[in-house]
Amino acid sequence: MSSINELRRLPGSQRGARQQNKAAFLFLLPWFVGLFGITIGPMLASLYLSFTDYNLLQPPRLSGLDNWTRMLHDERLHKSLGVTFSYVFVSVPLQLALALGLALLLDKGVRGLPFYRSVFYLPSLIGGSVAIAVLWRTMFGTTGLVNEALGLFGIQGQGWISEPGTALSTLVVLNVWTFGSPMVIFLAGLRQIPTSLYEAASVDGATRLRQFRSITLPLLTPIIFFNLVLQIIHAFQTFTQAFVVSGGTGGPADSTLFYSLYLYQRGFGHFDMGYASALAWLLLLIVGLFTAVNFWASKYWVFYDD
Amino acid sequence: MLSPFRRIAIGAVVSLSLVLTACSGGGSSNAGADLELSDKPVTIRATWWGADARAKLTNDAIAAFQKKYPNIKVEGQYKDWGGYWDALATTTAAKDSADVVQMDELYLASYADRGALYDLGKAKKIVNTSQFDNEALATGQVGGTQYALPIGVGVLSVVVNADLFKKYGVDLPDDKTWTWDDYARIAKELTTKSGGEIHGAAGAPGFDAGSLKYWARQDGGDLFGKDGNVSLKPQSLVKMWKFGLDLISSEASVKASTMVEDQTAGITAASLATGKAAIGSAYNTQITALQKAAGADLRLLQMPRAGDTKANFFKPSMYWAVSSQSEHPAEAAAFVDFMLNNQEAADVLKTERGIPANKEMRGHLEAGLTGSDKAAVEYMNAVTPGEAPVVTPNGGSGIEPMLQRYSQEVYFNKTSPEAAAEAFIKELQGEVDAAK
Amino acid sequence: MTDRTATAPRPLAVDRAHAVRRIKRRMRVPLKHVLLIACALTMLYPVLWMVVSSLRPNSEIFRNAGLDLTHLQVENYTNGWNAYSEPFSHYMINSVIVVIGAIIGNLFSCSMAAYAFARLEFRAKRVWFATMLVTIMLPIHVIIVPQYVLFSELDWVNTFLPLIVPKFLATDAFFIFLMVQFIRGIPRELDEAAWIDGAGHARIFFNIILPLMVPALATTAIFTFIWTWNDFYSQLIYLTDPDMYTTPLALRAFVDQQTETDWGSAFAMSVVSLVPVFLVFLAGQRFLLRGIATTGGK
Repeated sequence: MSSINELRRLPGSQRGARQQNKAAFLFLLPWFVGLFGITIGPMLASLYLSFTDYNLLQPPRLSGLDNWTRMLHDERLHKSLGVTFSYVFVSVPLQLALALGLALLLDKGVRGLPFYRSVFYLPSLIGGSVAIAVLWRTMFGTTGLVNEALGLFGIQGQGWISEPGTALSTLVVLNVWTFGSPMVIFLAGLRQIPTSLYEAASVDGATRLRQFRSITLPLLTPIIFFNLVLQIIHAFQTFTQAFVVSGGTGGPADSTLFYSLYLYQRGFGHFDMGYASALAWLLLLIVGLFTAVNFWASKYWVFYDD
Repeated sequence: MLSPFRRIAIGAVVSLSLVLTACSGGGSSNAGADLELSDKPVTIRATWWGADARAKLTNDAIAAFQKKYPNIKVEGQYKDWGGYWDALATTTAAKDSADVVQMDELYLASYADRGALYDLGKAKKIVNTSQFDNEALATGQVGGTQYALPIGVGVLSVVVNADLFKKYGVDLPDDKTWTWDDYARIAKELTTKSGGEIHGAAGAPGFDAGSLKYWARQDGGDLFGKDGNVSLKPQSLVKMWKFGLDLISSEASVKASTMVEDQTAGITAASLATGKAAIGSAYNTQITALQKAAGADLRLLQMPRAGDTKANFFKPSMYWAVSSQSEHPAEAAAFVDFMLNNQEAADVLKTERGIPANKEMRGHLEAGLTGSDKAAVEYMNAVTPGEAPVVTPNGGSGIEPMLQRYSQEVYFNKTSPEAAAEAFIKELQGEVDAAK
Repeated sequence: MTDRTATAPRPLAVDRAHAVRRIKRRMRVPLKHVLLIACALTMLYPVLWMVVSSLRPNSEIFRNAGLDLTHLQVENYTNGWNAYSEPFSHYMINSVIVVIGAIIGNLFSCSMAAYAFARLEFRAKRVWFATMLVTIMLPIHVIIVPQYVLFSELDWVNTFLPLIVPKFLATDAFFIFLMVQFIRGIPRELDEAAWIDGAGHARIFFNIILPLMVPALATTAIFTFIWTWNDFYSQLIYLTDPDMYTTPLALRAFVDQQTETDWGSAFAMSVVSLVPVFLVFLAGQRFLLRGIATTGGK
């Protein structure tokens, strides 16, 4: 590994800082146009709206910090933060562990690899389908499959999806079940690790565990990092899953009231877009903080080859 | 010709400034008092929520309309219920609403109060309302202005599965005299006699605004007063929830968790339709769908009574309204008129959007109805409703999910009915105040 | 499908150690398959249930969590296919148009941006990178209204443009970030060598980086396909004319909570709409394996 590190600073990389600036601008041009043309405007607009009283149908009225102070006393907001945090902290590690585990299992030459990969990916494909709501109810409902299976062992089941105590857990299962996307990213990452490194390690007599620890894992850290950052962001924004069980209400008894769902209810259900915009920016601050911490911590465990 | 980049940059600025200043509502076309139809070619957009069956019928009606008015082209747009309201709010906010919109009682005041709907009083020459009862017209008025016209009406009913009653040897109640106590007793009897195979009642009150309204009205009150504030009394709520709690604890009804499941499943997949319970509550117009899903002998019974108060009411299943942003309000109004008053349209649309609120059309259709459709009309004719309820005020559109939330807390024993009643009324009034 | 461990040349090893390892490996393979098959079945059951349900009469769908089929209801497929004024294929074709546009857009714009972020030094790079990440974090529901205003000013509502053009402008920052991570995993000596040979950034990008990041490009293409194919919200808002409807919009329109839902047809068409996605995944996953591993590295 060290030999690679020594190669990093060739004179070439210092050639022409101006030229690099220019090249970077050209490469980033489409992104700049998109950022300033499409993304920034609506974003700033929503920031502005967070300081107004805006019911969508009439012009917004400036209301100062009202929306922001209101958050302090909004019990449903606090509830939704609780729901969202517990969801993020449980479902993201579980999903990533499963995705990485199966990716490793699949990467090491298994016969029928394409078959398995497709099968494991299938649930992620139907994640957005209308059928998923019905499906999930049929699995976790009072007379659902899970209870039938439990019945075989003489265990009396319950309505997993409709009891406030367990509804959120079924959503964690749903999220873990659709682990296909991070798995595929892991697989692609694994495939990018040069075979030559393993060959060299084998010649040196390294065991497979050793190879995993000193080659696979370090070289995969950028991808693990990527999945971690993105899955956290996605978990904070979870929306569809909540619709699955509660049809958008966040029920039973607000036990699946995800942050985004609450935000959406305020904005479109109660025509309270000013407050919803403030909520969006609070979410952005929270997620941004998590991401920043993640990036800061990545210095200590993520290995880049540059 | 602007370059694409310039256009995008301009667009960004425009988007920002539009939201910032959000030019005040209402088009210039709103000014004239008496609308006249033009004979120039005009295209209007009509939008509604609903599934494919409704889309087919409505498109057929549109074709008939276009035959009658060759210069008007109607573009029909349909969405599912949830998506419909998101899209309507977004397009209205962007001043790009469809000309003719299908409205629901829950949202009517929210849109009307904020100037998003056209005053149909200005289109008297075009829209004929002579065939509507005053009660029916009142359901489309906000602050005394006619913003929408009801398409169909429904009334609350008890639906029983007569096959299950027969199977377990329970007599059907006499619905002219029965009370809520009878209701609970019979439900319990069904559960017992079936040996737990089924439950008597498919639900408990408190999962829809209609049932709450009924419980409030049988105490002589209502949800909202004429002043647009919450007039619901906490005792009515407490009474309703205690009744529900008794049903659940005595196993006369399905479990609270099953009720939650049924709520998200939709009526055709819920306990009553799947034969897991024998008594349920629904609007009379839903009987056809229920019947089809259950494949059993379902019958409509009058609601149980508490005293002599006429608690039941006609609920508009939906309305037609014209957007205030329409550039062609006259043509849009003509389309509304056609959909509500034209016999040809009625023949196509039938009772898919509910039993017509238009008396003439109802009479016209009645003769040709069969089976459950006929039963639904007969049921409605047998109901003597009380005074028409006040339209859900601006800010109250979220009442249903709010009620469900509190009902769930009560039925899962997380809060007492008394505490929940207090909190519910406070929260609802808070929403109404915030929208003022 | 080359299998890396199998094709890698076995190093010379002591005979005994070799034998032990072989036995271990022999044990490991069936065990691995048992594990994988068990996982696969759990994963697949709900999917199979959906397929079976699509062949059931409406009344049975909610009463049966098993996989048995008593009477086959093939009409669900014909009914669903013809439920709207246009056959279902019409909506699928619309989806395909949007999806293809989105894939090309994302591949083109995100790979370029990613190259700049991963390999070039430029002013305020960290700020721009942070900005890019922030754009992933804002929920769509609050920007949809201003964005709708923007696109309706451009007269793009009810066209596919609001769904495609942003992809050409790298607004899916997720993929930029993904590709940045991949490019940073490509050994730098490769482009250093080309640099010394006098290659410019364009040539390094096209001749060295792009070929080496095929797995990331394939991931991007597959994800873009699936997400765009399933995306409901923006299509709902921007496509108003039923003739322009895409698959998810048509599917949603089957479901009506208040009255009847023809669940059989809804399931049948859900299955139909899954077929292309599944096929694309089957075909596309081949490319996930390309890259350094099979192109030989150096």
